[in-house]
Amino acid sequence: MGQEIDIVKILYAAIDDLNLQLPPEQQLEKSTATVLFGDGGRLDSLGLVTFIVAAEQKLTESAGISLTLADEKAMSRRNSPFRTVGTLAAYIGERLAEGENE
Amino acid sequence: MVIDFLRQVFAERPQRTAVVWHERQYSYAHLLSRLDHWRTRLAREKVAPGSVTVLEADFSPEAIALLLALIEHGTIVVPLTPAVETRKEEFIETARGEVGFRVDGADEVQVCRPAFVSDHPLYDELRRRGHPGLVLFSSGTTGRSKAIVHDVSHLLRKYTTRRHDFTTLAFLLFDHIAGIDTLFYVLANGSCLVTVPDRSPDTVCRAVERYRVEVLPVSATFLHLLLLSGAHERYDLSSLRYIAYGSEVMPESTLKRCAELFPGVTILQKYGTTEVGTLRSKSESSDSPWVKIGGEGFRTRVVDGILQIKAHSAMLGYLNAPSPFTEDGWFITGDRVEVRGEYMRIHGRDSDLINVGGEKVFPTEVEDLILQLDNVADVTVYGEANPITGNIVCADVSLVRPENEQEFVARLKRFCREHLQPYKVPIRVSIVDRHRFSQRFKKLRRRQD
Repeated sequence: MGQEIDIVKILYAAIDDLNLQLPPEQQLEKSTATVLFGDGGRLDSLGLVTFIVAAEQKLTESAGISLTLADEKAMSRRNSPFRTVGTLAAYIGERLAEGENE
Repeated sequence: MVIDFLRQVFAERPQRTAVVWHERQYSYAHLLSRLDHWRTRLAREKVAPGSVTVLEADFSPEAIALLLALIEHGTIVVPLTPAVETRKEEFIETARGEVGFRVDGADEVQVCRPAFVSDHPLYDELRRRGHPGLVLFSSGTTGRSKAIVHDVSHLLRKYTTRRHDFTTLAFLLFDHIAGIDTLFYVLANGSCLVTVPDRSPDTVCRAVERYRVEVLPVSATFLHLLLLSGAHERYDLSSLRYIAYGSEVMPESTLKRCAELFPGVTILQKYGTTEVGTLRSKSESSDSPWVKIGGEGFRTRVVDGILQIKAHSAMLGYLNAPSPFTEDGWFITGDRVEVRGEYMRIHGRDSDLINVGGEKVFPTEVEDLILQLDNVADVTVYGEANPITGNIVCADVSLVRPENEQEFVARLKRFCREHLQPYKVPIRVSIVDRHRFSQRFKKLRRRQD
């Protein structure tokens, strides 16, 4: 559980980063319920990719975790891990539990 | 036979300096006598016309005399420079070298016999014609190097017309089509070729000052390094009349700065490929990326935005790859170009294009913009595979002064967003200590593994 909270914090830091680059109407709210991509989401595909890269960088910087988040594994899931901040945090937690840290 | 026109030029001006090498000047009489020496020696060594000869050398008086002797003797020459040392064995095996000549640092020559059997159909074709050959290797940044076979009598035809006599610096390499072009242009006009021990900006500028070099043929990357190094301020470069650049796309900002810094110098864009040779060209102006290319023996056309060339001097083919020619004999360069009247603008290899969700990004356009940002020393833009958008744009940037990485990255992205369409803005930006160049001073647009 402790780890997931850390991950959410890290994703919030990625949101801060992304918001610096976005016009006010596209900025994301720091909440696990925030929709990243898909119905009701504010990001387009470029915005999503930018967010994912920012998240990967933050994971490395603050936790020394090296993970490729956007890969075939993530894309082939029936439920996209990129739906909300919460689903992404859960997905990262799952990958770490599987012992993945490239 | 094939080099008789050169012998005539050499004989007309025996006292003129042909080559400056290790701060010493060697005359055309010297070159002629070494050429005669090698003519006799090749017969004595029982090197058969039509055999494949490997010439390991860099620009030097002996290397030039030996190259000419090997051509005159009707052999198929494979020049190799120290730049390809690590791949030498592979290249000699691919080319099936039968006799090897190694010109060392003291300009002494060792002969060896790698003893491959060279029975390739392209070689048989040269032997049937009774023509000398030349084998050059493509740089192979996108995979295996291709071995390109030329008929030297076709390649040399364009040099039989006398043109300008200019002291020229040998910047481009001895085993590269552009280096070969520099060499034959200089020799055909009885000019002086100034060689350099290395290709750093200071070494090059020192040689320009000392030997009053008039023509400087370089790569775009070198010009950029020159501006960064400030070497142009430390030496007297007033002898320069032409700076010729080619072999990769020149950032417009670098071109404009060069035009400002060297107002009396004509800056020319050259265009050529190892497969077809170097075309004659004329830039619209010193600070313009637009260029007219062609000249006698060359025809150009653009199909689906890609430049195609039909050349009299085109290679016979690859030793180790299928023919790249269209059925009607045009070479597909793979370079994306834009056409405006008689002029063309070359945007770079189609393979360097970054496809972001179906939109095309030219790395040079993004690099060109980033170079205008304060505190940027240099930048390399490349694509990285991404399952969402196909690829993302990445930028490796080196800085002039240290700067907080996060603030710099934010500043760079903001600047790019103001000037570029969103899909062209780099998503991954890294600060690097130095950039990767090939031995030929071309920027490497591949991520280091």
